[in-house]
Amino acid sequence: MRPDIDLRGYLDTRLTTITLIISGLAVLGAALLGGLVQPFVFEGEIADISLTTFVLTLPLSLIIPVIAVVVTAGEWSDRSIQVTLLQRPGRLGVLASKVIAATAVVATVVAISLALGVLTTWFAGEVLGERAVFENLGSMLAVQLSVLAATFLFALAMGVVTQSTVLGLIAAIGVPFVISTAAVIVQLTGSAVIADVVRAVDLQTAATQIGNGDGEAFDAIPYLLLVVLPLALGAWRWRTREVG
Amino acid sequence: MTSTPRPYGAATLEVQNVTKRYGDRAAVSDLSFACEPGTVTGFLGPNGAGKSTTLRILTGLAQADSGHALVGGRPYRELAHPARTIGVMLDATALGRGRTGLETLRLAAATLGMPATRAEEVLELVGLKDAGRKRVGGYSYGMRQRLGIGVALIGDPAVLVLDEPANGLDPEGIRWMRNLLRSFADSGGTVLLSSHQLREVQATVDRLVVIAGGKLVREGTLEELTTEGGTRVTAEDPAALITALDRHGIAHERRRGGLDVSLAPADMGRLALREQIVLTSLGASDGGLEEIFFALTGQTSAGTVDPTVQAAPPAQPEPAAAEIR
Repeated sequence: MRPDIDLRGYLDTRLTTITLIISGLAVLGAALLGGLVQPFVFEGEIADISLTTFVLTLPLSLIIPVIAVVVTAGEWSDRSIQVTLLQRPGRLGVLASKVIAATAVVATVVAISLALGVLTTWFAGEVLGERAVFENLGSMLAVQLSVLAATFLFALAMGVVTQSTVLGLIAAIGVPFVISTAAVIVQLTGSAVIADVVRAVDLQTAATQIGNGDGEAFDAIPYLLLVVLPLALGAWRWRTREVG
Repeated sequence: MTSTPRPYGAATLEVQNVTKRYGDRAAVSDLSFACEPGTVTGFLGPNGAGKSTTLRILTGLAQADSGHALVGGRPYRELAHPARTIGVMLDATALGRGRTGLETLRLAAATLGMPATRAEEVLELVGLKDAGRKRVGGYSYGMRQRLGIGVALIGDPAVLVLDEPANGLDPEGIRWMRNLLRSFADSGGTVLLSSHQLREVQATVDRLVVIAGGKLVREGTLEELTTEGGTRVTAEDPAALITALDRHGIAHERRRGGLDVSLAPADMGRLALREQIVLTSLGASDGGLEEIFFALTGQTSAGTVDPTVQAAPPAQPEPAAAEIR
């Protein structure tokens, strides 16, 4: 395994430079918007970390899939995987390296984003406003990190199984949106069976439940269906697919 | 420009009874050949003959249904340091476009555990020193071919496998590549290259492997194959020459410039000496590799397939020719 090589290979391209600059601006904008605006809007001139973090998760829910899919599927899309596999023919080792590299990049981006959120909230509350609220930081982090982790795992699975940047991104961003919309519609129908079916593929809800400490055995099903199964299928395809 | 690599301990490439099917179609069928150290082997065949499939199997990018493709006696995927044993360039467009040429080589050097200075060295070797900081997406096809060859050479391998390396190269580039491959093989390296550019192949290779329809149609030295086109001969007494050829059962055909005879020039000379016939000219027929290629692969020069010609097993020396020797 050479995650250092995959990390370097990801970071030294123009696409990554552009992606990271846009991501940085989006995160910075969300942190400033979520943090700095609060004292001027809310009663008591407070800034609450919960709201800042919630606003930060909006760009992160797009940035994370982009990073995960590009790291895992990017070389298949531009066909440079041919050169990689000629130099490193142990295919599952290459896959594992890319997963580690994607995890490192996403973890760094999330850590910087959260640090930025804490900083802007503190500055807004203590300097611009009356008070910064950090009381529920622990529980908030548990939920948001659980949801972001689920977003990352699903995007990773989509990148690995599709081995295509375009298809991977469509699946990683589109499927959660479709499922969350379906969940709302199902609630209106009142059918328990359909509600259970949708819940079985609703990874975001399961992640929230687990983050809240309310997770049940049923909440493992979305992980099984949307993460474990595609990852297993993708790993098999990764090992056997012919490179032309 | 720095010197070409000096391979040592070069390995033999062996394709043993390899068959690869896609559905009902056999892309490669029971194909066997070998490439020895110190030689440049040309791998020829029309489009769809199975060349790229064979090269992909040889380099572990595809799996054969049966048979073995070996590098130094081992499958590519089982080599301890594959890219330091065998340098491969199958598709120059498969290089990341968003990276600079120099960074592409640096990344390859880091992957293979080569020193970072190797990237600059190879960049100069392939003639891209001035374009090293330009992104690959802005390279011409010829420049990508050079960079692809550079990536193949970065691990200082003893074996080179190149698919259509002359594509997109200008005349100077073709000459550079020819010299590179020649000196690589002369220093003991093994080279296998596929190409459609028959004149270029004729100028570069020592041996030829010709396939059509996934099957081997001919394998041998360049000399063996080009002399199979026959010998053009003229004699002071053409009638006596024809009589002698008929007596020995040697095929011949009247041409405007003399007779085309199915013998190597040396054998024709021996026959004339034995029969005391004065030859006024003697040499290989002027069809060259191109004519042989079309004849062996059942293609016409217009690119269509001649249905009357089928893939045949490697030819044996003709009994009559053997007798004359």
